[in-house]
Amino acid sequence: MSTHITVDPVTRIEGHLRIDVEVDNGVVTKAWSSGQMFRGIERILQGRDPRDAWLFTQRFCGVCTTVHAIASVRAVENALHLEIPRNAQYIRNLIVIAHALHDHIVHFYQLSALDWVDVVSALKADPAKTATLAASLSDWPGNSTSQFQAVKDRLAGFVAKGQLGIFTNGYWGHPAMKLAPEVNLLAVSHYLQALDYQRKANQVVAILGGKTPNIQNLAVGGVANAINLDNDATLNMAKLYQVKSLLDEMKAFIEQVYFVDVCAIGAMYADWLKVGAGVTNYLSVPDLPLDEKGVTFEFPGGTIFDGDLTRVTPITTFGDPYFQKNVSESIAHSWYDGDWQRHPYEEDTVPKYSKYDADGKYSWIKAPRFDGHVMQVGPLAQVLVGFAQGHEPTKRWAVKTLATAGKIAGATLTPAVLHSTLGRHAARMIRCCVLSELAGKHWSLLAENIGKGDTTIFNEPVFPKGEQQGFGFHEAPRGTLSHWVVIEDGKIKNYQAVVPSTWNAGPRDAKNQPGPYEASLVGNPVADTERPLEVIRTVHSFDPCIACAIHTLDVDGNEVSRVRAL
Amino acid sequence: MPATYVLALGNVLMSDDGLGPAVLRAFDQQYVVGPDVVVEDLGTPGLDLSPWLADAGQIVLIDTVKAALPPGSLRLYSKADLVGRAAAGVRVSPHDPGVKETLLALEFAGRGPRDIALIGIVPEVTTMGLELSPAVAAAIPTAVLAVVAALERFEVPVRRRSEPLAPAPWWNAGAGILPRTDVAGNPADA
Repeated sequence: MSTHITVDPVTRIEGHLRIDVEVDNGVVTKAWSSGQMFRGIERILQGRDPRDAWLFTQRFCGVCTTVHAIASVRAVENALHLEIPRNAQYIRNLIVIAHALHDHIVHFYQLSALDWVDVVSALKADPAKTATLAASLSDWPGNSTSQFQAVKDRLAGFVAKGQLGIFTNGYWGHPAMKLAPEVNLLAVSHYLQALDYQRKANQVVAILGGKTPNIQNLAVGGVANAINLDNDATLNMAKLYQVKSLLDEMKAFIEQVYFVDVCAIGAMYADWLKVGAGVTNYLSVPDLPLDEKGVTFEFPGGTIFDGDLTRVTPITTFGDPYFQKNVSESIAHSWYDGDWQRHPYEEDTVPKYSKYDADGKYSWIKAPRFDGHVMQVGPLAQVLVGFAQGHEPTKRWAVKTLATAGKIAGATLTPAVLHSTLGRHAARMIRCCVLSELAGKHWSLLAENIGKGDTTIFNEPVFPKGEQQGFGFHEAPRGTLSHWVVIEDGKIKNYQAVVPSTWNAGPRDAKNQPGPYEASLVGNPVADTERPLEVIRTVHSFDPCIACAIHTLDVDGNEVSRVRAL
Repeated sequence: MPATYVLALGNVLMSDDGLGPAVLRAFDQQYVVGPDVVVEDLGTPGLDLSPWLADAGQIVLIDTVKAALPPGSLRLYSKADLVGRAAAGVRVSPHDPGVKETLLALEFAGRGPRDIALIGIVPEVTTMGLELSPAVAAAIPTAVLAVVAALERFEVPVRRRSEPLAPAPWWNAGAGILPRTDVAGNPADA
């Protein structure tokens, strides 16, 4: 007998996602991922000035603000073949890095750690033993016995009052929870400390971007940060050093806390390195440009098929035709009018809602494909594409991660284990370590360039008569994001955003190929169909964010899972 | 003195959901506050609200709320309404998951604002669009007065501008910083 489970909505994500699975003998055999919100927000851009588009796109999502701003200006710049001054590239890169560090830390500690960490079990921990354990892993100063004791006391107070507050909906005591009480206490303590590092990353974005969460300093053609090292009203030496010191503090937290927590928790759940691979075709785009034209990048991009790391096809420039030609979206199983598969320049977005039909249309999300293939995007794709191309910092941090986790687990871990639910968490942390290193490098590049006397920040865009097409991509925290714009006589004629969570959370296509969420759930264990924690673990490992539309929802904030026997 | 924040929540692309930011802009046009008061449109930040609320002393939040009242109705909520046990049966903001979860997380961390005044307005239309519905737009002046009243209750100085700032839509925020030309290459304002 099989059991059908519906989780609706999936909590601790942005947006409204519904997941359905069929479970046979404790293992998922079929899965469906359904976006429950219409997102056709691109239509609001038609007829507008392309120079304003980024101000609108950064409001697509309240969490992914800057990423949609960056992709938008890049799309318009690509349409105009506009070069960007080096200062502008470096300033954008620093904003992109700070945003990503913030986003990854929030995901691990606020949104997904509770899938693995049993907060209630931390009450049984010995704070002194926790401190000994922590000292064996890292020399972080925030790991003292008295600090762990304080967190434990605080937790005990909440439990005694019967108020777990934020943790009310946790899967406490679930059979799939395996961490020792000391590791749980360690994780809860770091969860509390992470808050301050979220704020430091925000401060970097605010200093460089003018405001946060909605930055004000972008422009098609560059940035609007006037540079004068001696002027209080501009980007000056004091502000640059403030940015540097915040980035250094972030780096310390990431290397001494986040890195260690992922290795330790991962090692204790080694079974989850065998679960959740799903789609092993990977797509990532190059990012952190190093020149005006966007032909040299810090991070390499490319595609990998069937998990074969010996064969990677690189994506090398902002205008790379390999990327441009191969992206399409299918609406065969999505609530739009028709059943076409089209290139983004040719798409329209005409909603046509019908009932949820697992064999027909069942999602508001479209199904993006690359040359017809389903692709997984996200930090795992980026790390594997970088690893396969010998990107030095990626390789170094990946090797260090596998060695550290392997030592704790008492096993030899190879890169192949990264094709998994836990591999996605590891890759996000590896990316974070690499990015926080690169933050220092790009800060130096900016400071040195300004030191040479270059204060250029902007090349003015000129819109010719007639039609131009352009695309802009960005390797965002959740993976490959691309914006596609058609401009006619200086106005937007068509605009499409193909977002990372669309690549991952999308439904089946016309050939009935399941999307990455759907494929990754098949084979997942489910110990208790009433409490499908394992399903949530794999879905959360992608860091779902499908809020690129409305937030005004009639939800009560409680996780709902419905179970029926088939 | 602990910092005071005036924060708007809502998505400006989703019609009445953009009410909070609209009230914030109107307040900013008409009133001046001191440098220790942070006035910010946060959009729909979800749990990214935490850094804003972590060490704030007092917070004025402006947002749409779900309530069985006609569109444009204004409701005031306190911190206890948002996180207290009584909150269980009260549907507050549509952004509830973000606001409530953030406040609960901060409470566990022993942090968070000492006091909150949530100024909530009942929306009518929350589908894609840049305009507020008439009933909701008509509530803006009252909501601005509610912001002023909340600040006065927090004993935060707030002063009416002698000349209100010119109104501008939110997407003109960056306009004027950089030169602009039209399609033919002429300065846009020529």
